[in-house]
Amino acid sequence: MSTIHSERSGARGRILEKLKAQVAGADYGKLPAEPSYAYPPMSRDAALARFTECLQANHAEVIEVSAETIPLAIERELVKRNISKLICGQKGKFSGSLESYFSRSDSEGIELVKYDFPLSDNKSRLFDEAPASFTHSRCSIAATGTIVLWPSEDEPRTLSLVPPLHFVLVDTHKMVSDFATLLKSEHWGAELPANVLLISGPSKTADIQQTLAYGAHGPKELVVLLLNNNTDKE
Amino acid sequence: MTVNIHHPAPSKHTAKAKNFRTSVERDLADEELRENFRGAMKFLSERRKSAFPDELELQTLREQCRLIKQRCLLKLPYLLEQLEDNLTRNGIQVHWAETTEEANSIIQRIISKREATRVVKGKSMVSEETELNAYLEKFGIECLEADMGEYIVQLAKEEPSHIIVPAIHKNKYQVADLFAKNIPGFEHTTDVDKLINEGRRVLRDKFKHADVGITGVNFAVAETGTLCLVENEGNGQMCTAVPNVHIAMTGIEKVVEWLDDVPPLLSLLTRSATGQAITTYFNMITKPRQPGEKDGPEEVHLVLLDNGRSQAFADEELRQTLQCIRCGACMNHCPVYKRIGGHAYGTVYPGPIGKIISPHMLGLDATKDLPTASSLCGACGEVCPVKIPIPKLLLRLRQESVKVAGPEETVMGGEGANRKTTEALIWQGWSAMHRHPALYRASMWLATRLHKFMPAKIGPWTSVRSAPHIAPKTLHELVAQRKNTRAKP
Ligand code: SF4
Repeated sequence: MSTIHSERSGARGRILEKLKAQVAGADYGKLPAEPSYAYPPMSRDAALARFTECLQANHAEVIEVSAETIPLAIERELVKRNISKLICGQKGKFSGSLESYFSRSDSEGIELVKYDFPLSDNKSRLFDEAPASFTHSRCSIAATGTIVLWPSEDEPRTLSLVPPLHFVLVDTHKMVSDFATLLKSEHWGAELPANVLLISGPSKTADIQQTLAYGAHGPKELVVLLLNNNTDKE
Repeated sequence: MTVNIHHPAPSKHTAKAKNFRTSVERDLADEELRENFRGAMKFLSERRKSAFPDELELQTLREQCRLIKQRCLLKLPYLLEQLEDNLTRNGIQVHWAETTEEANSIIQRIISKREATRVVKGKSMVSEETELNAYLEKFGIECLEADMGEYIVQLAKEEPSHIIVPAIHKNKYQVADLFAKNIPGFEHTTDVDKLINEGRRVLRDKFKHADVGITGVNFAVAETGTLCLVENEGNGQMCTAVPNVHIAMTGIEKVVEWLDDVPPLLSLLTRSATGQAITTYFNMITKPRQPGEKDGPEEVHLVLLDNGRSQAFADEELRQTLQCIRCGACMNHCPVYKRIGGHAYGTVYPGPIGKIISPHMLGLDATKDLPTASSLCGACGEVCPVKIPIPKLLLRLRQESVKVAGPEETVMGGEGANRKTTEALIWQGWSAMHRHPALYRASMWLATRLHKFMPAKIGPWTSVRSAPHIAPKTLHELVAQRKNTRAKP
């Protein structure tokens, strides 16, 4: 370790010294004003439409749900795909309702698994034994059809990444028009969690002859559950 | 002001860049290669065009992003210090490397200290710059490329031919043959979905067992100490979430001051590169695994690489080179790149950006042909999202390459390498002739009288053209003659 440190500080000093010598006389008080484009404001409906349109164009499936129908919608999609297992966290707002729904006696036999294990000793449980996952989301961005995740102890980073099918719940009341607005309104500059992830569709690549293929490394399918309780509208 | 000129260690790129002319001949003759590039460039430039329907928005964003990058460069040393402070406070270890060799050795020691041997790597052009894979191999460390395009290129034992789409030079038939040769049990197919699925199968297993993940960085945010990664496939996310160690590497110019600087740059980056409003994943890493977290790396490192960047930084005009956000739009719109492809350049960064950045990395002596390989049509400068005046910088590098080199280099390594005595003499004569009217008339008179002796072959000029004919009389003479005839009634 000590050798790494000494070499590193030598290079550090030399690089910084070279750079500083070049900007010694710079007047930081007199920087040119930076323009920014004023995007026209979006109505809630327009934002929703744009969000859905972008995600669908990126091959995601968007399903409208209400708080009560979330488990039902998931079950339907799983049955359609012949999948009988779902992995999720346990502390999220709707984790409890998923648990009681899937443990009912007349359920379709879907097994609900909790992500309650450290990944490094349990790689197979996620890589080989989890065909589908469910996560909540923090908020979403209309302009680009983007879903913002703040992975946590309860819903780890890999929960939205490794299983081939990912269900994500998006509360439309927490939708903002664009990324810049989001950073400002939530003061992200103050403190960020270990990892923030913006997702805008299923994993994809066009690396072979510009032909789009889905499911390169992450989920092959992204199902967005749009929680759109119109209660406070009008 | 003193400038420390960068003298790079000879690498395989140095040798390749020197053979530019022969590589161009070779690749121009390859019909399949040219077809692959023609299709790809058409696709990418159309995608970009459709991503910017509003010209006013585009131009405002470009101006904004140019100024953001110029501000961040003007504050570069201080932002790097701030970045280091914040990353360290967040628990991310920062390392500094002046040369590619240093960067490789730092990374190798981090890996060896963990006694790790299995490494997966997301797309990183800086790791290509340092030739990291070959270096690690010498220590018995397997470093597998995880981006689909990079994986294909690695299987083929080639280098990327494009900074965004590394295997752009290959078509699906070539990829299928490559898989058949290298992946046991591969059932031959040219269906792209199936090919990608095959790559997914192989690489998933590697992600599952990898000890270390290596990635590049698109933006490093000084304000918060955050590393941002832009990608579509999820390989970067795999590299930064599954293995116990994550090593990020980046050039020192990638730092931005504020988190608020990110959205406009990100928007221009993805739209300019592939015409996407945003990529599938935008990954922001601020801390290693926190207590209670079930995944994510225990250790996160950032390696900051100079490799000639501080040399470009020392000259205010050339400093603009460092505004680059590596979108690849300049190559997608370059008539030269489109025809010769990415490999002919022999450098890690091909196309217009390669022509202006490689001389700082490899020296102008190894890259002296690159700035001349341009028609100066201006397309690169017009599409560049951060408004780097690439054609102007090419002219500047041409000047640097033919200037009289003093005993000490003043601007860059290898300056004056393209200076030829005869050429210099001819231009001196030319300039003298145009400054002295008598000399001008005399030379013109002589040239026109000797027009019959103009050789039919004049070097490479006549390899595809016929030699110009010199008129028997000068324009001055013709005009005078005409006046005379008119004057006579
Ligand atoms: S020079 Fe400009 S156009 Fe070329 S890769 Fe860099 S940012 Fe993109």
